[in-house]
Amino acid sequence: MSAASVTTPARIEARGVTVRFGGLVALSEVDLAVPPASVVGLVGPNGAGKSTLFAVLSGLLAPSAGSVLMDGHDVTRASAQARARRGLARTFQHPELFPGLTVREHVVLAYRLRHTRHRIWTDLVTGGGFRRAPVDEERRADSLLAALRLTDQAHRPVSGLPLGTSRLLEIARALAVDPGVLLLDEPSSGLDARETDELAATLTRVVADHGVSLLLVEHDVELVLGMSDVVHVLDFGVKISEGSPAEVREDPAVRAAYLGAGHGEERTSA
Amino acid sequence: MLSYVVAGLALGAVYAIAAASLVVTHVSSGVFNFAFGAMAFAVARFYYFLYVEQGWPLPLAAFVAIGLFGPALGVLLYAVLFRHLRLRSPLVKIVATIGLSVALPPLVNLVFGQLVNATAPGLAPQPVTVYRPFGAVVDMNQLITYAGLAVVLIVGTVLLRYTDVGLKVRALVDSEALTAMSGVSPARVSVGVWAFSALLAGLAGVLVAPTAGLSVDGMTFLMAAAFAAVVAARLRSLPTAVAVALAMGVVTSVIQRYLDPESALASQIVPSVPFLFMLAFLLAHAVRGRAGDAPAGGVLDRAVRAEHSGAPAGLPRSGFLAPLATLAVVACLPLVLDDFWTGLVAMGIALAMALLSCTLVTGEGGMIWLCQITFAGFGALLAADLTTNSGWPPLAAVLVSAVCVVPVGVVLGLLTIRLGNLYVALVTLTFGLLAQNLVFMRDRFYNSGQGIFMPRPEWALDNRTFALLALAVFAVLGLFVVNLRRSTAGLAVTAVRWSETGSRTLGLGIVPVKVLVSAVATFVAAVGGGFVALAYQSALPDSFNPFTGLVWLAVLVTVGARPVVGALVAGVAFAVLPSVFQTYLPTRWAEVPVILFGFGAVMLARNPEGIIAMHARQLRDLGHWLQSRRAPAEEPSTPQGELV
Repeated sequence: MSAASVTTPARIEARGVTVRFGGLVALSEVDLAVPPASVVGLVGPNGAGKSTLFAVLSGLLAPSAGSVLMDGHDVTRASAQARARRGLARTFQHPELFPGLTVREHVVLAYRLRHTRHRIWTDLVTGGGFRRAPVDEERRADSLLAALRLTDQAHRPVSGLPLGTSRLLEIARALAVDPGVLLLDEPSSGLDARETDELAATLTRVVADHGVSLLLVEHDVELVLGMSDVVHVLDFGVKISEGSPAEVREDPAVRAAYLGAGHGEERTSA
Repeated sequence: MLSYVVAGLALGAVYAIAAASLVVTHVSSGVFNFAFGAMAFAVARFYYFLYVEQGWPLPLAAFVAIGLFGPALGVLLYAVLFRHLRLRSPLVKIVATIGLSVALPPLVNLVFGQLVNATAPGLAPQPVTVYRPFGAVVDMNQLITYAGLAVVLIVGTVLLRYTDVGLKVRALVDSEALTAMSGVSPARVSVGVWAFSALLAGLAGVLVAPTAGLSVDGMTFLMAAAFAAVVAARLRSLPTAVAVALAMGVVTSVIQRYLDPESALASQIVPSVPFLFMLAFLLAHAVRGRAGDAPAGGVLDRAVRAEHSGAPAGLPRSGFLAPLATLAVVACLPLVLDDFWTGLVAMGIALAMALLSCTLVTGEGGMIWLCQITFAGFGALLAADLTTNSGWPPLAAVLVSAVCVVPVGVVLGLLTIRLGNLYVALVTLTFGLLAQNLVFMRDRFYNSGQGIFMPRPEWALDNRTFALLALAVFAVLGLFVVNLRRSTAGLAVTAVRWSETGSRTLGLGIVPVKVLVSAVATFVAAVGGGFVALAYQSALPDSFNPFTGLVWLAVLVTVGARPVVGALVAGVAFAVLPSVFQTYLPTRWAEVPVILFGFGAVMLARNPEGIIAMHARQLRDLGHWLQSRRAPAEEPSTPQGELV
């Protein structure tokens, strides 16, 4: 973590976030911060509350208690779309694509929402639907599609895309909004080893070149530990560990959560 | 007062039976039955046929019509329609049942003959015995209605709570997938539910016919009133639906004590009570952020539904050739046809403009608005009023009126969109009926059925010139729709339509995007309404009846709700085909086109694309096949779009 990030507010931060579903406590007073230009990993066994925390951070679920801050501003009550406009983007465990659009249109829409949002309204009266796309937009869409190896599929409808390709498209769409912080939910699921390595390299480049912060939830623990500056571990809605990948790897509480030591039975991996 | 309460409870009991039927089928099958009124009409008409026209004894006629014909109708409709809807998208479910509601009544009329001002008997022997307990007046029909509701509630409760069948139904409500995995056939349970639902529809139809009339309009009104109770019950709570239905009946009746029965106010307020109930509950739901039409079931059910929901493998990107060719053909029609047929074509083109609003809101936005015809009516009446009473030029009046109607669509959208597609359909149909009662029937507009005179521009008085003018305006509106579809707004609308969660996290507000489409569609509908008035040379409130609006939608989706040219073909077909049948075929076949339009919409259950898109795909397939025969090559995947 750089010295600057100590004084700069976190891109996104959860403070004492608690989520209850009736009598079930899904998250209990969880603290987590994603500093600028850093990669933060979030791991935990199935049912640990990772997806719930993602939903709270992205504004899809209101916490029962606690707060969420973006760049120091309290956004606990802000909608998902308001947070997106503040620079938050995310992907989903089950990709949320738009079957009526092509691969390229996903990226173009995301780009326009960030850079020429007014076109939602002005295109109607200026005949924007019949005009060629601006050069900047074309260039950005092409580069993102190329970076994620989607160029060959650019004009293909997204229905029927393999899971791995769908994930890459979600990431391309998320990057098209030039996010300040990107929440990635199981990004390598459905990718083979080579694709996973390429994705890791692309994400690392995004962080280095554009200062994007990443919060990564991933089944592939080695990928998380290899990419992250800081790793948080959840178990049954409680944060049981936080630290560098090496520290987390050696933490007895983490080993117990994953291997069941003290619980008498083996647990599912992250 | 007691007499009013007693009468109100009888009315409320009929509403309650109808609401119970709607809730049971919705929660157990996921299908909200917009054909309920049509099914009620079919059974009530069959009862009339047996009892009055054939002279059967009352108990036998009632048993055969309600106890046998009703359930048989339910089973038949399940076999040919409802079973295909189980895994379809909510929009296809709605449109297909609307298609059935359009096709079934004229089909029944074709078989049993059309009734004009028939006095429908209830289930009480004639003459109807009247009792006077505690000074209140209760007739035998009302007592039978109370008993009917009591039997329905007791039998329904016992069946659902204490029998094996009820257990299976409740399991089906919770999760169809898990029910199937436990060895129970969802299809077998569903067919039972639909049979029971049709029995209730028949019972409600027969009970309400003596007061509401044995007509499609009367049954549609019954259904719309039951919608209010169903909305209050958030589509699923049976006790709430029954309680609200009874309350509506009582309020409707009691309020008449304080109104002059001969007054215009009474004739407008009384039928509006259920809709005011709906509005109140709708506002309550919106304020409390409750409701929503999320289907029941767990993760497995959602996965199964997603697999079968008909999400497009790619929406067809049509070129300009076919639309231009169609425009050219329609443009030639006024040049070659005589004045009578040219007038019909002109009417069809005007109608096509109004149908373009459905293309926008349904084909693009994926929403079912059932009051586009009402917006068209507003546009027509306002434009005619401005032209006739204020001396405005007709075209300017049409344009300004359309702009004035837009806020109505915006407010309606703001109220309903966040509650979900099903609520939008329910509320917009109810709004249409309310507007018809409160606005269109006012003397100022209705004018004894003559409407308000709407002169054409002086340079377009003849049908030929007017048809070409209308076609030019249609082309402009069509280009506007194409521009929207290809623009950023179009991308946003498609995104919102297919994944609200994905859209929100991308920074897109669901309500603003959908309201944008609704506003544009309202404008287009109102322009279309203005041109319909110009075509008739009068703004006729009767031509903007919400039931006719259902037929509009059925025609459009039969042809195809996405292609702009689909609206043109649908409009011309709607205007011309009935006259073709009337001119060249026996008179009783006059309603056959409506039956065909309705069944066309029903066919969406199997082919969600509509006729144009389906045939275009088949032609492309044929082209690819011919190409592959000439030069074997890699077969490109065929885009297959869903209509709505």
